[in-house]
Amino acid sequence: MPTAKQDKTRKNGMTVKDLIVMGVFGALLMVCSMIGGVLFAVTPTLTFYFSIGAALLPGPVFLLLLAKVPKRWGLTIIGVIISLLSLIMGMHWGMCVGGLIGAFLADMIAGAKNYRSKKLNILSYIVYSFGPMGTYIAYFADPEGWASTMLQNGTTQEYINAMNNAAAWWVLIIMIVGTALIAWLSGLVGCKLLRKQFEKAGITA
Amino acid sequence: MTGETRKRKWGICFDPRTKVLLLIISMIIATTAPSLSYECALILLIAVMGILCGKVRYSIIGTIVFLVLYLFTTLYLGNVTGTAYTMFTAWLSLVFKVYPCGMLAGIAVSTTRVNEFLSAMNKAHVPKKVVIPLAVMLRYLPTIREDWHFIKDAMRLRDVSPSLKELISHPGMTIECLYSPLLMAASKAADELAIASVTRGIENPHTRTCLIQIRFRIQDFLIICCFAVMMVVNFIGRGGAI
Repeated sequence: MPTAKQDKTRKNGMTVKDLIVMGVFGALLMVCSMIGGVLFAVTPTLTFYFSIGAALLPGPVFLLLLAKVPKRWGLTIIGVIISLLSLIMGMHWGMCVGGLIGAFLADMIAGAKNYRSKKLNILSYIVYSFGPMGTYIAYFADPEGWASTMLQNGTTQEYINAMNNAAAWWVLIIMIVGTALIAWLSGLVGCKLLRKQFEKAGITA
Repeated sequence: MTGETRKRKWGICFDPRTKVLLLIISMIIATTAPSLSYECALILLIAVMGILCGKVRYSIIGTIVFLVLYLFTTLYLGNVTGTAYTMFTAWLSLVFKVYPCGMLAGIAVSTTRVNEFLSAMNKAHVPKKVVIPLAVMLRYLPTIREDWHFIKDAMRLRDVSPSLKELISHPGMTIECLYSPLLMAASKAADELAIASVTRGIENPHTRTCLIQIRFRIQDFLIICCFAVMMVVNFIGRGGAI
């Protein structure tokens, strides 16, 4: 029952209900990516694949969120909040900045078709899941400076050699392709769920 | 959680804005520290702050864990070569960059109540579009855990086991059984929360009031000064190293 006042706020953008839906789904997004990523983050050999694990679970949540709040700046606000919270929880700054940029770009992509096109929404989810890679991109930009904090006498030649190997770049490529693939899969599952369950139940806006 | 009266055994309380500022400062220090000994000093500073806040056990355990990691790095990594060395170097340097912030964040989160945090955000003139979802999020996070237990019980009742084995043998079924109730519950909760908060005047254009006084006090200035001095020392050390 939209009253005149509610109509007015809707024209201006977000209603209070939209903001609350965003809060609830933002919490779900964060918990899902934590559950998926935590195993990767604490294992030394797998730490670079964190973003792959983080992309696995939140797909359906993300797509339902877009279906419920198809408005500009919604995703950006969620990006701001999640970055702020991960800053407060002591994550590396690369992840916060990356998450912010990822969410903004995802907002722009999904917004190009008014958040209605399924394909663009999945693409926007893929872009969104690139966000947590910020930390590792900061690492690959300057691997020597990164480790020099730890090795007081500067980095050893061996370490530089190992890092300059093609192997290190393979890690980066696996990271990007793997994340895109897993996010795409998660988005497809989300799309299917959306069609089968939620549209029939009438809880998409 | 928000309803109970405020009780704190002992310890100084800091303004939530101070805690955010300290987190940013320690993040800068951790990213730019020229060597590990500076990080040790930072950890000590954080431990002192933790003890001041009344988190004695947490601070001591955090310092000991850091010490173990530090000793492992200096003693063990000096003698190892090869792939293990490369992997550990990359991982440990990430740990050392995140650890001080994580420790400080643990102290900050466990000593701040949600309503204090929100009124501090309001005082810092963060727009309402960010504050409302943030408040809802903090309120909803514990509920997810509760929902999850209910969903698991319900799945067992209907002979769908929420285990890894089942996920591999019947992926479609298990995924549907997990996500549908979770997302349904979430959207119901969002609707109810929206009605409840509009009734309680969340759209009120006036500034929010809070029973607990949030303001900068003398201890806030002192602790910020300590951390700022640490940052300056850190930059001097960095300049010297280059």
